[in-house]
Amino acid sequence: MSSRIRVFATSVGTKLLIGITGLALFLFLITHIAGNALILLGPTAFNHYSHALTSNPLIPVIEIGLGLIFLVHIYKAVTMYLGNQQARPVAYQVKKGQGGPSRKSFSSTTMIFSGLWLVLFVVLHVKGFKYGPYYASEEEGVRDIYRVVFDIFRSPLQVGFYIVSMLVVGSHLWHGASSTFQSLGLDHPRWTPRILALGKVLATVIAGGFIVIIVYVHLFAGQVGQ
Amino acid sequence: MRLNLKIWRQAGPNAAGRLVDYVADSVSTDMSFLEMLDVVNEDLTKKGEESIAFDSDCREGICGTCSLVINGIPHGPDRGTTVCQLHMRRFKDGETVTIEPWRARAFPVLKDLIVDRSAFDRIIAAGGYVSVNCGGAQDGNAIPISKDIADAAMDSAQCIGCGACVAACKNASAHLFMSAKISQLALLPQGQVERQRRVLSMIEQADAEGFGSCSNEGECEAVCPKEIPISNIALMTREYVKAVLAAK
Repeated sequence: MSSRIRVFATSVGTKLLIGITGLALFLFLITHIAGNALILLGPTAFNHYSHALTSNPLIPVIEIGLGLIFLVHIYKAVTMYLGNQQARPVAYQVKKGQGGPSRKSFSSTTMIFSGLWLVLFVVLHVKGFKYGPYYASEEEGVRDIYRVVFDIFRSPLQVGFYIVSMLVVGSHLWHGASSTFQSLGLDHPRWTPRILALGKVLATVIAGGFIVIIVYVHLFAGQVGQ
Repeated sequence: MRLNLKIWRQAGPNAAGRLVDYVADSVSTDMSFLEMLDVVNEDLTKKGEESIAFDSDCREGICGTCSLVINGIPHGPDRGTTVCQLHMRRFKDGETVTIEPWRARAFPVLKDLIVDRSAFDRIIAAGGYVSVNCGGAQDGNAIPISKDIADAAMDSAQCIGCGACVAACKNASAHLFMSAKISQLALLPQGQVERQRRVLSMIEQADAEGFGSCSNEGECEAVCPKEIPISNIALMTREYVKAVLAAK
């Protein structure tokens, strides 16, 4: 192994990098839903939270870092998928799930597709909110992002797209949240079964939580001025 | 009992293959799966047809030679067994049974159900051994190894290199195979000297052979005739990280 860079080019290094970036994105998602939950407290709390974030000088740096993490995760996952396809050029005529201790699931077999859906979703999501319409709130210099959210989720089409996308997030996390620990070499007879279960619980809570927020906003959108 | 067989026939490495239908009459439930194939082959020979090529050796589940995917499962439906340990009582009269070879770029089909698994030999040759002089046979108590460690190393050492892990994995990954040897030697004193270079070399070789990466599904563990768990793969990853950090 001549170069340190090559460390992440091997099959094990690729797993490590996908695992590290996946874990970072998972932690980001937890902070994201915690922040979004503030919408339930009304416009003042939500707009203040948004303003506190966007006015922080560190945010552009964090955004670039997050963007890079996304790109590395996507690049390594896609190239790994393509490499894996080449590893079995002739498919089986009959193939079954092996059962027993296998962790294979619908979620684990569709990671590349759920991931690619989420790439499209993230682009549209950032375009719609971060680069969406600017409404001034009653406070000087504070964007009324609360109104943007209610504007977007007034549309049943947007609600449908977002709910499907959150189900895709849930599916991606169903396997990914716990799989990241195995990718990083973290395994323990006592803790691994708990990590596997907790991953599924968090996947459900995160996807379900976002869906609850979307439905809540849609139902009460009529009460917020257009 | 009577079985309808669909068996992969392929004249050579570069020939096109296909599933061919055969009927196995008068199959005894006491036969092993390979004995059933032996009888089918005897009938084919009597008819002047070419017999079906398949691998087998010890026929007692310890050599890792037999390698058939039966109805979509490497080594067939029984857990923790090889094909040679599978018996016909596991099947129903009139059942259709599909038999295919291991499928992986790194395991090219040589003929019918036989694949070339020398890629595994090259992975082992890259570092899955102890080449430092450990001296003569030690007194049993001279190098204390705790029971837990000895058991874990022995569990990993059970790998018979059959390749079912590769055959079951959707990515045709050799991680379970590699990790079993790496774990076994990393746990024992004799393996310490070459510990770091072993893990780096074996992974590099497996990648060069064209095996895929690992998606942590554990299909390999489910079909492993020795029930080697994917905790070995996690240990291999830790070994890899340590080796990379310690590399000069």
